Amino acid sequence: MAVPARSSEWVRPVARQEPASAIIEIDRVSQVFQTSARKDHVALSDISLTIEEGAFVSILGPSGCGKSTLLYIVGGFVSPTSGAAKMKGRAITGPGPDRGPVFQEFALFPWKTVLGNVMYGPRQQGIRTAEAEAQSRALIEMVGLKGYENFYPKELSGGMKQRVALARTLAYHPEVLLMDEPFGALDAHTRTRLQNDLLNIWERDRKTVLFVTHSVDEAVFLSDKVVMMSKSPGRIRQVIDIDLPRPRRRNELLLDPRYQKYVVDIERMFDESDEAGPDL
Amino acid sequence: MMSSAAMAKRAAPVLACIGLLAVWQVASLALKNDSFPTAIEAIRAVPSILGDKESLINILASLRRMAMGFGAAVLFSIPLGLLMGRNAAVAAFFNPLLMVIYPVPKAALMPIIMLWLGVGDLTKTLVIFLGVSLPVIYHSFQGAKAVQEKMLWSGAAMGLSPLQRLVRIVLPAALPEILTGCRTGLVLALITMITSEMIARQSGAGNILFNALDMGQYDTVFAMIIIVGAMGICLDAIFERVRAKLVRWSEPQFDIPLSFS
Ligand SMILES: Nc1ncnc2c1ncn2[C@@H]1O[C@H](COP(=O)(O)OP(=O)(O)OP(=O)(O)O)[C@@H](O)[C@H]1O
Ligand SMILES: [Mg+2]
Repeated sequence: MAVPARSSEWVRPVARQEPASAIIEIDRVSQVFQTSARKDHVALSDISLTIEEGAFVSILGPSGCGKSTLLYIVGGFVSPTSGAAKMKGRAITGPGPDRGPVFQEFALFPWKTVLGNVMYGPRQQGIRTAEAEAQSRALIEMVGLKGYENFYPKELSGGMKQRVALARTLAYHPEVLLMDEPFGALDAHTRTRLQNDLLNIWERDRKTVLFVTHSVDEAVFLSDKVVMMSKSPGRIRQVIDIDLPRPRRRNELLLDPRYQKYVVDIERMFDESDEAGPDL
Repeated sequence: MMSSAAMAKRAAPVLACIGLLAVWQVASLALKNDSFPTAIEAIRAVPSILGDKESLINILASLRRMAMGFGAAVLFSIPLGLLMGRNAAVAAFFNPLLMVIYPVPKAALMPIIMLWLGVGDLTKTLVIFLGVSLPVIYHSFQGAKAVQEKMLWSGAAMGLSPLQRLVRIVLPAALPEILTGCRTGLVLALITMITSEMIARQSGAGNILFNALDMGQYDTVFAMIIIVGAMGICLDAIFERVRAKLVRWSEPQFDIPLSFS
């Protein structure tokens, strides 16, 4: 290793300028739950992570490692036991329309139609009904549900509900999408289609996405960066940059040796991981 | 064209009524008891009651008290139940209170209430109010408690304030459960209405019934039972229609409607 000629060069790289594009900063966040067994359960331990604006970041880890908890903290739905999360330099103290969640449970409003659900956010933001409706109809078409505007959630399949949930969140233009295993409950075929659709939508307007999953393929296929977590206590094991060209096409990517290598490497890391507990 | 299954569904309640009246008729003919008129005699007495201005005023007064007691109870109980379901402190405060009130027959409180408020409308309406409140509070509470947290989070992310979430998410999400409570409450309103008039005998449908009993006009007694019963069935059927409309979005109903609609 070359020794720098002037001592000041030792200093400069350390005082790195914050990348102006950091949109979310998670700073030494820990989350401890009191459980009924009277033992404190450390769900997250000392998590630090910076997410750049416009990046698609996946959080990958075994069940129970605290992925959802981390997402809820960024969403402002729960506050961490210690540490802090920031959005654009400001401490996150609660939920807000700048961060839009898409939950695994869909959490649609069952008393509203598809259109009513998607219009809910824009209406709340004071957009006039006619305009909100036009925007919402366009979004519903974009997620492939044209013709279903007047259906109630109970009349939709799981995949369709997830599309509505995505459209409902996109409708109020959050700067960051927080997606918690949005495709986890879907069959393989629907899952693949929704992944493609999500990628198309994302490649169009490049919102920042924080995406929780426990599928390695999904994480590599979608992401710029994969954050691997390990369990008990939940920690970040490794952050892997996925250096694959975009726009990504599934059929090309599956044949790409670089893609295959990422998947194999990450899977191996999982196998090597010391937590031998059942992955429920 | 109605399918035969649909026709059977329509006809079932009518057949049930006819069956009941037939059993009544036969039983009364067999027993030959003065205080047990036949179904036909009782039905014959109905028009004369409804034709009598005095009786009609009494019945309408009953219905008015019932509507006021029921309406006030619903307006009071739904917000309270929802707040209890979403706020542990509110629940902790009111729960013991309701646990104490719950098993007490509301009519048993009437003597005390009469002592304080007299035998007039206020007392009777208050008893109806008490009778209706508990099931509505209970069901609103259960409904609010069961609201999926992620639904509230979704609302919060859209910028809804806690109060807005209560009114615009918890209320509609809990509506099926709330309306179940209201339906129970409606029947209880009718029951407490009659009971209150039996205790504070001054006016109303219950008063007509007991006056007739005192005077040995048994056909009028049974005719009043028919009238009150029919009122209950009609109110319940109307309510069920409204309920079904309001919660059409809800879970698919398994198809044995508990009503005569
Ligand atoms: N409200 C809570 N009270 C107590 N413990 C909790 C609570 N929420 C989460 N936990 C615990 O924290 C740990 C992390 O939970 P979390 O839901 O974040 O995991 P996850 O990685 O999202 O799992 P999965 O992949 O199954 O969704 C789990 O062990 C869970 O039991
Ligand atoms: Mg989870």
